This record gives sequence, structure tokens and C-alpha cells, in this order.
Amino acid sequence: MIDLIPGDANPYYLAAFVLYMLLILGLGVWGYTRTNDVMDFWVFGQDMGPTLATWSLIANFVSSVSVIGFIGSVYVEGYSLMTHTILGLMLGISGLYFVVGRVRALNVLTLPDLIAEVSGYDVARPISGSVLLANAWLYLIMQLVGASLLITAITGVPYEYMVWVIGAVFIIYTVLGGLVSVAWTDLVQGVIMVAAVAITFVYMLFDLGSFTAINAELAAVDSALVHPTNEGTYTALMIAATIVAFFGSIFTEQNMLIRIAATRDIRTAKIHLAGAGAVLSIFYSLLIILGGATTVALLESGLAVDDPDAAFPVLITDYVSTGIGVVIILAVMSAILSTTDTRLHSTGITTARDIYSYFKPDAAETRLMTVSRIATVVFGISATAAAVDPPGTIIELYNLRAVLLTSAFLVPVYVAMYWSDLDGRAIVAAVAGGGILGLGTDLIDGGIGAVPSAFIGIGTGTIVLLVVHHLIPASDDGPDPTGGD
Amino acid sequence: MTVFGMPESMFLIFVATIIAGNLGALHYVIVHVLLGKPFGDEDDVEETEDEAEPVIEAGEVND
Repeated sequence: MIDLIPGDANPYYLAAFVLYMLLILGLGVWGYTRTNDVMDFWVFGQDMGPTLATWSLIANFVSSVSVIGFIGSVYVEGYSLMTHTILGLMLGISGLYFVVGRVRALNVLTLPDLIAEVSGYDVARPISGSVLLANAWLYLIMQLVGASLLITAITGVPYEYMVWVIGAVFIIYTVLGGLVSVAWTDLVQGVIMVAAVAITFVYMLFDLGSFTAINAELAAVDSALVHPTNEGTYTALMIAATIVAFFGSIFTEQNMLIRIAATRDIRTAKIHLAGAGAVLSIFYSLLIILGGATTVALLESGLAVDDPDAAFPVLITDYVSTGIGVVIILAVMSAILSTTDTRLHSTGITTARDIYSYFKPDAAETRLMTVSRIATVVFGISATAAAVDPPGTIIELYNLRAVLLTSAFLVPVYVAMYWSDLDGRAIVAAVAGGGILGLGTDLIDGGIGAVPSAFIGIGTGTIVLLVVHHLIPASDDGPDPTGGD
Repeated sequence: MTVFGMPESMFLIFVATIIAGNLGALHYVIVHVLLGKPFGDEDDVEETEDEAEPVIEAGEVND
């Protein structure tokens, strides 16, 4: 499954990697000294300020899929990635901004908390928590594969060793300080990442002539590479389905809800989504153009690659100067680790808060902290072990979990927040129906006929929601959903 | 027709993406900063209309 990308050992790159890991580990250990109770560990004591929250979200958002997968995707299909994926992600961030006031006011810590709150069924917590654990675990594997492939390529250290080194570092600092360590390392990683991509972008601008020259040369390679639909490769229906899937994934990821809960008030919650959306929309536009520049640079230098995920690593090892190479490595490591630690942290809180505490409602705070830490270690180690020989490519896993999350949670959860007398059974049934049909049809053939799986999942969830609510008689002693304020 | 070396339609997608990512920021600046509308958890607190605040306060990390 894993093809080791041959690379020459570069002492500068290896030294930059080691120093960076030590810096992040040190910050994580420092975070441990500021973690006093389980609320600190889970949600930063619900006292995260605007700047820390914003940069932590930015750093969490940009992952190995973004830097390696997206640049590889531009290498293959050009700028059409903007149309079907990044536009959906940006609409998702802004969309979440417009409902975050209601979400924050509910004062829930996790997505299962939110589902239980709006449905009135506490059993929704372990059920949805299990779905989210599966999603987070897949994401961890993707991140570790991406990080380890890259560092192997640029340092020459064998892949199977690099997986365990990177896995160990992020497990240690996440398990020590929880969201306190994660957020502070994110702040550093986010700033490094954005600055480094901007520096690399400017370098490539000068190297290839200008912004216009990059696009014109990419168009000269193949005009489809600068076309929004890759000249018809993507139909309007496919694009719409992908936009909806990625739009919905922003609303339904566990770590997004945890971050909203960690903000100190609604103002901060709004600021961090507004600020992150502004920064990320520019960042991704630059990143996609950088992908175009990478494609042009490699092809014009006779450095064409067979595996698109190798495009960015080859640019670092064989094209740019060592100084720029170090800058890029820091950016990529920041992108990868900041997302990985957040997902790992989410597995701990999901296990303890959403699943364990459901079965042990009287568990002491110290016990919940211990369960969180044990789960963090277990999921971290098992994901690292799986990443040695992963079950699919990065981009396949990325799309699969977006369809799953959106199909299962988007319609029932967010409709319920504003429809206060919606039947709780309808919400739970819609989560199950949408999730099963969305995931099932995606695994089988990506949909049914011309209808993509994201639409099938969302459509199923909507129909089940309405049918159960209107046709099943209400129970007199059923739960009473609050539906927010 | 091309803009910056890419088809106009592709250029418009870039513009649309940047606008999409900034919808929240635009709302925040217009509604909460310029118009001074309170946040959801401040509804029960008397607010003055000129209590404008920047999107991100410089130097404020966490206190």
C-alpha cells in the first residue's frame, strides 16, 4: 500500500524536523502544567480567547490532506478542486458562523451532547459518539500517513520508523495537556503554516515570473487544468454533491463543536469562525495557485511524478533551495500535527464524555480524566499501527468520512436546533437512516445511478425526519427537547 | 476571455470562494462592530450602541 518515496538524507531537513518536534513537545509539556481539571483537558476550561481560538481553528483546519493531497490533486486535475471542494469548505465555515450563537448558547461540549440536547434522547450520545470515533480514527490514520510519507521523502529516514516517531510525539503532548496543549501548539503551528505558505508562494512567483505566468503556463500544459470543471470532468450534479458534503462536514465534526464549547462566550465563538474563514479563504486560494506553480515547475524541470501525493515532496527535495525547503517542511509539519492532535484529543473526549459517562453517569471527574487519557493513548497507538499499512489512499478516506458525517448529522441536528417541537425519535431515526444510506451507497458505487451518495444520505435523513415526526403518534411520556433558547 | 492567465469562469470561482469564506467576517463587522448589535449572551445586558470592537484584538491571546 505504501510506496516509499526515495529521498536523499538531508541533514538540514532532518535537523529542522527534530528541532520542530522538540519545540512542539516542549510546548505540550508546558500545557500540562496549566491543566488542572477535566474541563481544562476537554475544553480549555471554556476560557479560550479570540486570538488563540482563531489561530487554533486555522491550524486545525489545514491538514496533510490540504498541503499534500490538495497540491497533488491540482497536479492531476488542476484548479477544479476550488470548485467542488474548497468552495464548499468556505461556505461551511461561514454557515457555521451564522448558527454558532445558538450552538454556543446551548453550552454543549460535543456533537453527541448537541444531538442528545435537541432530540431529548440521551442514548444518542453513545450512538453518535461511536460514529464520530470511527471518523476521528480514520482521520488520524490519514494524517499520520501524510506526515510520515513526507518526512520520509525529505529526510531519508524509513517510513515505518517515521510513523512511530511522529505518532509518539503527538500522543505524548496531547495526552499530557489535552486542549490546553493542543491549542497553544496550534497557535504556533498556525502562524508558522500561514507565513511559510506565503513565503513559498512569493518564492514561486519570482521563480516562475508572475501570477499570470503560472496560470498561463499551466494552461499551456493542459487547458483543463485551469478550468473550473476540468473541462467537463465534473458535472454540475457531482460538484453540487461534493460542495454539500464538505459544507456539511464543517457542521458535523466533533472537533468543531469542542472548539465552540472551548470559547469563553458567543462573541469569541463568532470571532473565531469569522477570522478563520477570512484567513483560510485567502490561504487556500494561495495554496491552490501554489499547486499550479508546483505542477509547472516539476513538468518544466523534467521532474514529473507518477504518484500525485509525491508532487509537493519532490518540489522540496529536487526543485527549491534548501532554505525554502526548510520553510516548507515547517509549514507542512505544522499543518499535519495541528490537525492530528485535535483529532486525537477528540477521541479522548468522545470516549469519556459521550460513551463512558453515559454508562457511568456518576463517574468522578478524575475518573473521566483518566478515561480520556487512556483513550487518547489507545486510539493514538492503534492509528499509528494502522498507518504503517493504511486501508486506502488519503483522498479516498477524506471523501468517505465527509459523506458519512454530512449524511448522518447535518439535517437532523441543525433542523432540530430551530424546530423546537420536533419529535426526538424522528431526529435519532434520521441520523441512523441518513448515515446508513449515505455511507452504504458511497461504499457501493458512490451513489445510485446519477444521484451522488451525499444527496441520497441527506435526502433519506430529511424524509425520515418528516415521516417519523408527522406519522408516528407522539408519546405522552417522551423526552422534552429543549430546542435551544 | 482570460483573467490573470486563467478563464474568467475560473477567476470567478476564486473570487466566490474568498467571498464565501468572508461572509462571517462581513456580518461580524457590519452587524456587531458598525451597528453595535449585542451577542446572544448579552441580550439581557444593557449595551450602548457605540460599543464597537475590532474583529480580532491585537495582542489578545488569552487572559
